[in-house]
Amino acid sequence: MEIPYIFTPRKDTGMCNSKIAIWLFLASEVMLFGGFFSSYVYLRLGADYPWPERALPVMPGLINTFVLIFSSVTVVFAWVSLKLRKWGMFQIYMAITVLCAAIFMGLKAIEYNVKFHHQAVRLSDYTILEGHLDHIEGITDKKGHEVEADVIHVKVNKLTFSTVRFHKPWVEEMIRQAEVNKATITLGSPLKIEGQEVPSGTALTVSLLNQIKKNHLASRSNNAEVRTEALRDAWVTEKAKVGNEGKQGWQMASNVNIDMDAIAGQLKVETSSIVFQVTPPTELWFPQRDIKEGATQSKLRDDTVIDGEMLESPVAFHNLDAIDFRYVVMKAEEKGIDPEKAIENTWLIKNNEEAREAWEWNKEQMVILQEELTKGYGLDKNGKPNREPTLTERYRIGWQDFAAKAEKVNKGHEAFNMKEQFMGPNYEHRAPAHTFPHLHIPRELVFLSGKFTPAWNTYYAIYFTMTFLHGLHVIGGAIVLSYYLFRGKKMYQTNPEWLANRVEVGGLFWHFVDLVWIFLFPILYLM
Amino acid sequence: MADSVEHIKKTARLYLLIGAVLFIFTGVTVAVAKIPMLDVGKHGFDTMDMILGLAIASFKASLVGYIFMHLNHEKKAIYWIFFGAIMFFGFMIFLFMFAKYDPIHFNGFQLGIPN
Repeated sequence: MEIPYIFTPRKDTGMCNSKIAIWLFLASEVMLFGGFFSSYVYLRLGADYPWPERALPVMPGLINTFVLIFSSVTVVFAWVSLKLRKWGMFQIYMAITVLCAAIFMGLKAIEYNVKFHHQAVRLSDYTILEGHLDHIEGITDKKGHEVEADVIHVKVNKLTFSTVRFHKPWVEEMIRQAEVNKATITLGSPLKIEGQEVPSGTALTVSLLNQIKKNHLASRSNNAEVRTEALRDAWVTEKAKVGNEGKQGWQMASNVNIDMDAIAGQLKVETSSIVFQVTPPTELWFPQRDIKEGATQSKLRDDTVIDGEMLESPVAFHNLDAIDFRYVVMKAEEKGIDPEKAIENTWLIKNNEEAREAWEWNKEQMVILQEELTKGYGLDKNGKPNREPTLTERYRIGWQDFAAKAEKVNKGHEAFNMKEQFMGPNYEHRAPAHTFPHLHIPRELVFLSGKFTPAWNTYYAIYFTMTFLHGLHVIGGAIVLSYYLFRGKKMYQTNPEWLANRVEVGGLFWHFVDLVWIFLFPILYLM
Repeated sequence: MADSVEHIKKTARLYLLIGAVLFIFTGVTVAVAKIPMLDVGKHGFDTMDMILGLAIASFKASLVGYIFMHLNHEKKAIYWIFFGAIMFFGFMIFLFMFAKYDPIHFNGFQLGIPN
């Protein structure tokens, strides 16, 4: 079937069908992104923690803005080339546009990667620490990599698995770790599966758990059937009794009971949980996100109960590159406590010399900054400075500040190079100057620990949602434009105007992608 | 749309000019956010910076829409479609104003503050 009005305008609309279609699509896109921008406003205004304003490195976002604007110009020139019937020029401009899309996504990937490897910890006193974790010597994961120092160590003597909820990879990992530690995980008491006895001491395997699960589900299903049938019989008997004719169900319900003794022979043993012994009791580690730890008993997210003493499981920062007291200040102000006093009473300041030094240095820097601001902008009528240091400057010591401190320059003076503006601090290069503190945090002080992922806070949730959705649009647009670049020749030879219209439509989408970024960049990177 | 060859040749220069303006104003957006001397309002980010930042972004977006997306000489139907979407967008953005009627108030996790 031939699609009508692909290069000649319809009389009623005055446009080709594809043009009106893309505008309808763009209208729906405006509404889609509008919903997310609205969510951003709502989350920012309603945040119950200090919103991380101007938290992202500007350079990657700025370069990406230039790249997208440049590609908007090249896509429009690709269209112009087609209108002027210059196929070669069209190819060049379109190739540059697609290349720009690739550069944009490449930079985005670098940005995401840096965040996914950057650790944040919130202590129970609201101090927030950022940086990179130590690796625990001698403890490796299944790929042979040393694990990061953010795991929970437990000396396990007993494991109770939920038969229906156990998570296969976690079971396999426990078996692997036990093997490494030369310990065995074996069935605690004998069990019957489909009439066959499984003796106690049988080694834990995923297939054994699967058999137990299958048997449990079959028993549960059988028992439900038997009980339902018995209940039905009880109702029939009750209704048939003399004097019960015409009575409502609720009037008889209290007399309807299942005779459990009568059905006991038909019921099968259900095994909703199954106990395994660990011999000898051995140290196993669990990622902190998977476990709710306790002193003598812990629980995994798949309902596995771990009996055993929790061992020391500190979070260890190899390089602590930011200390953020803004949340402490916010909470102190809510309670009418002097913010600086609250900061000086935090665990970090009381227990870590390097952090205390950094805090003192930052306070000195604030005096210098305030002097500069007063000198530059003067005082108001009441003798108060017209400009004062921001909350971030006063209460957050970022990696640039640590770098400035190590290089003995003032806060705000750029003590970092271009690469560091992209990737964050170059730890190796800065190690000899002892720029970044090392720190061990006892587990009981850790309230929340994780990478800078959408789960960290609502700011990163909306940042990743909006930029990822935008990134998908960049990829989608690039695929469509690549199609015109590589497969458009036939269309061009049939009728150049056909391809020109298609490119105009694709270009409209591409401009929209640029337009969204024009707002995303200042909102996420500069505000 | 006036898509004659002469017109297109003439507008090609305009596209370049708009591209340059967009580049310059991107630089301006970053400059007013990062250079203390150009900081409007109070020191650091505040409402004035937000208004200025969004005003520049809106100006840039309108150039993209007006020139690159040819909204300066489009058919009436397109304007109606776009108008509807923009109205919806405007309404969505101000939805947060109803948040104060939200019956659920979250006051943060109740943990001790250091003494």
